[in-house]
Amino acid sequence: TGAHLGHTSLNIDSLRDLARKELVNVLDSDHGVEKIYHLQPGPLETDCKNLIYICRPQVNYMKYIAEHIHTHTKDSRAGSYTYSLFFVPRRTALCEKVLEDEGVFGEITKGEYHLDLIPLEDDVLSLEWDSTFKELYLEQDTTSIYYAAKALMRLQGIYGLFPRILGKGDYSKALCDMMLRMRREMAVDDLDASQTMQLSQNIDSLIIIDRSVDMVTPLCTQLTYEGLIDEIFHIKNSFVEVDASLASAASAPPGGGTGSGTQSSATAPTGKKKKVPLNGGDKLFDELRDLNFAVVGGLLNKVAKRINADYEERHNAKTVPQIRQFIVKMGGLAAEHQSLRLHTALAEEIMNYTMTDDFNRILEVQQNVVAGIATNKEPEYIEEMINKQAPLVQVLRLLCLYSLVNSGLKPKQFEFFKREILETYGFEHIQTLENLRRLGMLTKQMTTKNTYGLVRRSLSLIVDEVNEHAPNDISYVYSGYAPLSVRLVQCVVQRGKDNKQPGGPGGKGSGIAGGNGWKGFEDVLRMLPGRTFDETQRVDDGQPRPSKRMNGQPRVSLVFFLGGCTFTEISATRFLASQEGGQRDFVICTTQILNGNTLVDSLVQKVPDLHASA
Amino acid sequence: LTLMESFRQKDSTERINKIKAALRIYQDDKEHTFEVKAIEDSVKLLQTQVQLEKDYSQPFSGLSISSTVYKLITINQSNRATKVRGDFKMPDKRFWWIKLRALVEIRDWDGVATL
Repeated sequence: TGAHLGHTSLNIDSLRDLARKELVNVLDSDHGVEKIYHLQPGPLETDCKNLIYICRPQVNYMKYIAEHIHTHTKDSRAGSYTYSLFFVPRRTALCEKVLEDEGVFGEITKGEYHLDLIPLEDDVLSLEWDSTFKELYLEQDTTSIYYAAKALMRLQGIYGLFPRILGKGDYSKALCDMMLRMRREMAVDDLDASQTMQLSQNIDSLIIIDRSVDMVTPLCTQLTYEGLIDEIFHIKNSFVEVDASLASAASAPPGGGTGSGTQSSATAPTGKKKKVPLNGGDKLFDELRDLNFAVVGGLLNKVAKRINADYEERHNAKTVPQIRQFIVKMGGLAAEHQSLRLHTALAEEIMNYTMTDDFNRILEVQQNVVAGIATNKEPEYIEEMINKQAPLVQVLRLLCLYSLVNSGLKPKQFEFFKREILETYGFEHIQTLENLRRLGMLTKQMTTKNTYGLVRRSLSLIVDEVNEHAPNDISYVYSGYAPLSVRLVQCVVQRGKDNKQPGGPGGKGSGIAGGNGWKGFEDVLRMLPGRTFDETQRVDDGQPRPSKRMNGQPRVSLVFFLGGCTFTEISATRFLASQEGGQRDFVICTTQILNGNTLVDSLVQKVPDLHASA
Repeated sequence: LTLMESFRQKDSTERINKIKAALRIYQDDKEHTFEVKAIEDSVKLLQTQVQLEKDYSQPFSGLSISSTVYKLITINQSNRATKVRGDFKMPDKRFWWIKLRALVEIRDWDGVATL
């Protein structure tokens, strides 16, 4: 698993190893796993007498487990079972209480499996804690900050202390404070361990960006290849579920070889879904994922031509060694061919979608809104969408974007849209609207001061001339809009460039260790919500930070998106790295991957259907 | 929130009672005039729907105002639809959109032509 991308100097494998070892430890209490079941409600039918549950600490899961145990104890034939339960990543008092209430607490051996940051790629780590956004910002439940802090402490345990922690946003600050406190607590518990903790060799900074700082970006439609796949098919845990016919087109034996005719002819759309992995191990995907979708078609064409040419080479293979050489190459070609099929099929699906009128009109409205081009057309279009009963999530996404950018809707407009939505989508959405209002995503205009407009200008979020083929700025990912979150990261890292300040010994991009941090951007940062901070971590002996740096190794900035980030933001961050000319790498950490749809959907009030029982 | 509880009630009458309870809470608060109006409307809607279910022996409750009107048109009850529209003072623009979509759905091209 996990072919190394060759991008990051941070060796993610050590993190992977740790996760693997711990899993073995967890499972070691048993003698080999016989069967794996997905945790579901209802009785569990199994012959195994030793059951191990590995799950998130969620109340409903506890109820399932309790149900299993209850049915087992009732059934006298069943004999005795032993139960073990491992919480991922940590146990919670609430879950233990539920088990107690169910009267099964004593029957279970409990433990923890500290799988917190899951490497999705070599440069992307995620807690995969899907509900973080809602928990954190709507319910003010800070559990996820605790998980994040724990996870980052573990990273520090492996890679050394992060010399500098910068960030923006109140929850970012909370995360930073929690990490600093954990370190102090560690010093109390175990003095030796804390003193042996060295400053990290490669990682020179941790940048924490709070989702509440930039709500605009996730609401925009992502226009990178990976982003669009996520928008349309929804990527979950780096797998995407597509129609089986699409997937089998990809897995059919390439080259039209032996008897593939019978198989592939039977692949009319079946409505069945199939999971396809998407990760950097797929070389073609790795090449395509971060590109603006506008150029993907052309590139696929080029790759197809090259593969074809490679196949044609067999005609030139005359001598036996030449033929052997070709056969060796064949394996690679076949894999490439297969991935080409998959991505052509995916790209075709995406095309069908992006060609539609609705998509283009929504996109146009979006682009006008973020660019601050004020016309009456935008609210009118949103009204039309409601009248057509377009999916609520889509409507809200656009409406929230409009509200965020204009620091709220005009009072009359606000009432109008609220009424339209309630009457069209149902009154239960009083709660949905209340959720959005509390998050500041859909509000009544209080001042005429347009914060977003000022931020947009001072950080040049809108770039008019975008070259999607040879991008020179992160704004290529949204065809003209530079994601604010990543722009902030850029501020920290690339400072000095526009200010014409003399670069440090490392040339451009050496800003962080040098110590400028947010300097020069205070005005902009003040306009954005939440606190700004810049902390330095030192080793206890008071020595200055080690100047020795592994030569030739780029320095690494860890970027932590608290509250989730989009694939497009990941792409933009990777692009930043590519601009640094090998001087700096980024490793992205996030609580979860999200997009506008999943974000808004988590806030929509769900109502059980009245007719389900009627 | 009592209101949320109300939406969990599967039975229409139960739901109306709960919503009314929620309404009283909201009424105490001057900030929420919009919500009060909306909740009052939702009660009215549920009551209308209960009546519609009796009249046409088809499920209506749980639908929004727009969907209710839409459904009435698709089952050829345009007059009733117009009445619901009047009861809730639905803006013209939305009503005509709904009507157009509903008529297309049932392929009533004569109806579309006379719009």
